[in-house]
Amino acid sequence: MNTDMTSASETDTLASDAKRLSIRKMNKHYGEFHAVKDLDIEVEPGEFLVLLGPSGCGKSTALRMIAGLEEITSGEVIMGDRDVTHVLPKYRDIAMVFQSYALYPHKTVAENIGFPLKVTGVPEEQRNKAVFDAAAQVQMETLLERFPRELSGGQRQRVALARAIIRRPSAFLMDEPLSNLDAKLRGFMRAELKHMQHELGVTTIYVTHDQIEAMTLAHRVAIMKDGELQQLGTPAEVYTNPVNLFVAGFMGSPPMNFLEGNVSESGLQVGNDKIPLDGVEDGMAITLGFRPEDASVVEAGQGRFDAMVYTAEMTGDLTLVTVKHGSSILTIKMPKDFMVDYNQNVGIQFDSELSYLFSTGDGARLKANVVDS
Amino acid sequence: MSNVSNVPPRGLFARLFEPPRIGAMAPGAKFIVYTLLLAWSAFVLFPIYWLLITSVKSAADVNGGPVYIPFVDFIPSLHAWRELFVVDYADTLRAYVNSIIISLAATALAVLIGSMAAYALARIRYQPNLITILLFVLVMAAALFAIGSYGVDWRLVLVVGVGIFYFLSKAVASRVHVPLANGDILFWMISQRILAPIVVVVPIYMMFQSVRMLDTHLAIILTYAVVNLPIVIWLMYDFFNSIPKDLEESAQLDGATMIMTFREIVLPLSRAGLAATTLLVMILCWNEYLLALFLSTAKAQTMPILVAAMNAGERGILWWSMSVVIIVMIIPVVFMAIVLQRYISKGVLLGAVKG
Amino acid sequence: MTSTTGRVVNSQPGYLPADNSQPPSRRFRFNEWLDGHARQLFITPAVVMILIFSIFPLVASLIIAFSRVRLKAGGYQVRFVGFQNFSKQIFGSEQFHFLGTFTSLTFLGWAVALSATGAILWWMFRYITTGFSVVGFIGRLITALVILGISWMFAATFFSGNPFGTLGVTLFYVFIGCAIQFIIGLALAFLCSQPIRGRNFFRVVFFIPMMITPIGVGYLFRMMADTTKGPFSPAWQWFGLNDFAWAANPWTARLFIIIGDSWQWIPFIFIILLAAFENIPRDYVEAGQVDGASNWQIFREISWPQVMPVAVTVMLIRVIEGFKIVDLPNIMTSGGPGIATESMSLHSLFAWRSLDLGQSAAIAYLLLFVTVVICVSFFNLIVVNRMRRI
Ligand SMILES: Nc1ncnc2c1ncn2[C@@H]1O[C@H](COP(=O)(O)OP(=O)(O)O)[C@@H](O)[C@H]1O
Ligand SMILES: [Mg+2]
Repeated sequence: MNTDMTSASETDTLASDAKRLSIRKMNKHYGEFHAVKDLDIEVEPGEFLVLLGPSGCGKSTALRMIAGLEEITSGEVIMGDRDVTHVLPKYRDIAMVFQSYALYPHKTVAENIGFPLKVTGVPEEQRNKAVFDAAAQVQMETLLERFPRELSGGQRQRVALARAIIRRPSAFLMDEPLSNLDAKLRGFMRAELKHMQHELGVTTIYVTHDQIEAMTLAHRVAIMKDGELQQLGTPAEVYTNPVNLFVAGFMGSPPMNFLEGNVSESGLQVGNDKIPLDGVEDGMAITLGFRPEDASVVEAGQGRFDAMVYTAEMTGDLTLVTVKHGSSILTIKMPKDFMVDYNQNVGIQFDSELSYLFSTGDGARLKANVVDS
Repeated sequence: MSNVSNVPPRGLFARLFEPPRIGAMAPGAKFIVYTLLLAWSAFVLFPIYWLLITSVKSAADVNGGPVYIPFVDFIPSLHAWRELFVVDYADTLRAYVNSIIISLAATALAVLIGSMAAYALARIRYQPNLITILLFVLVMAAALFAIGSYGVDWRLVLVVGVGIFYFLSKAVASRVHVPLANGDILFWMISQRILAPIVVVVPIYMMFQSVRMLDTHLAIILTYAVVNLPIVIWLMYDFFNSIPKDLEESAQLDGATMIMTFREIVLPLSRAGLAATTLLVMILCWNEYLLALFLSTAKAQTMPILVAAMNAGERGILWWSMSVVIIVMIIPVVFMAIVLQRYISKGVLLGAVKG
Repeated sequence: MTSTTGRVVNSQPGYLPADNSQPPSRRFRFNEWLDGHARQLFITPAVVMILIFSIFPLVASLIIAFSRVRLKAGGYQVRFVGFQNFSKQIFGSEQFHFLGTFTSLTFLGWAVALSATGAILWWMFRYITTGFSVVGFIGRLITALVILGISWMFAATFFSGNPFGTLGVTLFYVFIGCAIQFIIGLALAFLCSQPIRGRNFFRVVFFIPMMITPIGVGYLFRMMADTTKGPFSPAWQWFGLNDFAWAANPWTARLFIIIGDSWQWIPFIFIILLAAFENIPRDYVEAGQVDGASNWQIFREISWPQVMPVAVTVMLIRVIEGFKIVDLPNIMTSGGPGIATESMSLHSLFAWRSLDLGQSAAIAYLLLFVTVVICVSFFNLIVVNRMRRI
């Protein structure tokens, strides 16, 4: 926290300024193509909401509709108590950070940061002070006279952020702002971003396809697929309690392990082994899922089913054992000193409490569970 | 601190100049844009319409004051078309064929030689000696002066000149070296475009006259090719510079010679640039008048000369026939534009202009 | 792969053995030779052609410009006459033709001449006091002298009520014409880059005039502008101008030529500036919209700075080509009334027609000189400066 008196008080006033953002039944059609389907999200004042989904699922489209850059086919966007559905972006009082940063190449860092104030006619002196403050907030105050081409990727990112915060908007919209940075810088900027959003307390919608980014940044995550909202909840919720196969498979790295099959005699036949299930009917096509960290590799015959070791990778803090069973490839996280030979037959044990059952057809989570044998 | 007025302005002006919907245009702006664009379309198209109807007017329809709409104001007749393509077809056809041969050949030559030079300048480092170049120009000036003022035979002067130049460059230029760089060569080549045809055409005329090549295709082809070389070099240099070197380097590692690399890798990759350049050079060659006027008298006459020939002295200008010629001249260019269209990405000319 | 002698033998056809036991084919040797000389091979044709068709004529033209050329049986007689051809144009009997008719300066003429002189002196003074380099100084001095001469020429002719000569006409075409073409071309490109329907239609239509031969454009506009038989003759009559001959008035004649020239060349400026507008990343404009900029601010602060480097270069090209103008005045007015629409190229062409080759070459060289000085100044003082700022 900044101990400086003025910024502390400003932070307070801003936090109380934060607006609720309601997205109701928002749709977007591109001709025949339905890019965003009935999106319904309530973003609480000051909340950091992450829109997560694979590329092409309509995240950017949704964000651009919230910004007013794209026309809404149907539905509404409400900021605070104001319906902005058909309001032009310039009257929405939002700030947006683009994936490309959209820094004007012919303007210096200072001119870029000050642009939102310049166009609204803020007098020069006041503007310069605001530019300096905003730049200081992102540690760019020494590079004000540079042009964007003379900056590194991370520095450009900071300038884009400064341009967004200078106006103290009622909402931040960010479209994959970190995706152009290298892995190390991305981790660092992620922390900065989270800290800054906390300090400013501005309602934020952040778009990404990277689930780690979503998990670390978000107060709540909204997971989208093919234009449809799949699940909305805190990172912990979506991780431990996924509503369907897609969410379960999308969250987590390495992803959840899946075994597919048909139920016979209240159980799932896996090779020579049978995993007994409760709450399912015979003949259903189901998918059984468990996370790599909720399973372990044991002696052959000792686990719930047997599989063959495919590879083992040391990542430093743990060993990732990949096993093959039929056509499924499963990954298990084991302690770093775990040793195993390739092509060896092993048993796989997993926690019945922490396993999930889905209907293979529509991917819905089933009210069923694995029975301890 | 937030100075953005959240309230969209109301009032007549706002209603006219604020978009009613996101992604739409303000009605006022739309009205202005369409009005201006349609007005300019009319300004562009009306002369062409006039050209079309004049080509089917009789002499009386043209000379009796303006008539506008065929079948309403006047009865169109194909007499001018007939005259050019049936009665005088030999002249018309010759000019047409001449124009096609000359512009195709000149364009091909200019594009080939120009892109070779551009490629060389983009990839090889040259360091010509300024002194050698100055010596060359000096010797050339002296030689020309000898030919012009004293009537010395040009063949003799050529031989002696080459000898003197060779001697001098061995003697002087090998000792004093003022190196130029690729940029200088490029600038020199491109700057040739500053030369107005009128500056060089008289000596070119005399040159072709002395080798008895006036009124031949070759003379016009060579001249057009050189006049357009700067454009080719300029556009293609930029284009080649924008191609990553990796592919060529990998070809060289595979043992390809520079010529093979150029032919097999570079040229196919530059199709868009070549198409744009070809189209531009083609248009310039096809429409050129002044140089053709000097260099052709009868056999090698091109279409623009034929246009001017419709200004037939005592009979006045044959507007109808002239319109026909101008129209048939546009057709191949439009055809070329359509053929090359799909290769031309919109950025090609832009790249070079951006500098 | 490895034989007993340890030599690597490649079974692929066409692979040259590492030792030279077999002589390489003639074709291969030729290719090797070509490759060895690729450096020269690629650039020599262009250099030779430019030497023969540009440099040689340039030098020859220079010699002719300093000579009197007579036709004689089977050739030419060239007699060196020094600066005579030039001085005839600048000071002598052809002065009215090249520079204009000089009488004493009127008050307005003096005012223009003196203020131009003052401005140029101040510009030079400022350069000397702020930064100084010998090359820069000489360059600026030449620019200053040429502009000084041109402003005095206009002060003594146009601003003193006298007709100016072909130099003034050419400059008029270049600067007024190019300015008009630039403004309209820019406006059309900007309008066409808006999200409107029928963009492709406009793009194609606007490009058409560039495909028509300039000489055709000349005749076409002569038809258009005909006050008795042209399409607008009813309008002329309605205004009571039916016996007004535009070709007989210097200013209307020049105006018509500029209109024809613009009709033909706006497409060129349009097509390149349109590409420049469309090349602006959409993000820039959208970032501006989100930040609350009005449409005008987006144009002024974002689009225009992006397009300007292109615009400056396009204008440089257009000015270079503009100095060459010859077909339109030749066809539309034959340089008339009098010499009112005669460009320098046309002036030179007429001199050649009257077999005065020396004069013709001298005028051509004067044109070259003016073109080079103005274009180089434009490039060095404006383009380079602007580029540096962007
Ligand atoms: N202007 C457009 N016209 C038609 N389809 C579009 C347009 N913009 C985006 N789409 C389509 O909408 C879908 C969602 O795109 P987008 O929102 O950019 O995805 P992402 O989640 O990767 O940001 C994509 O399939 C894309 O092809
Ligand atoms: Mg996206």
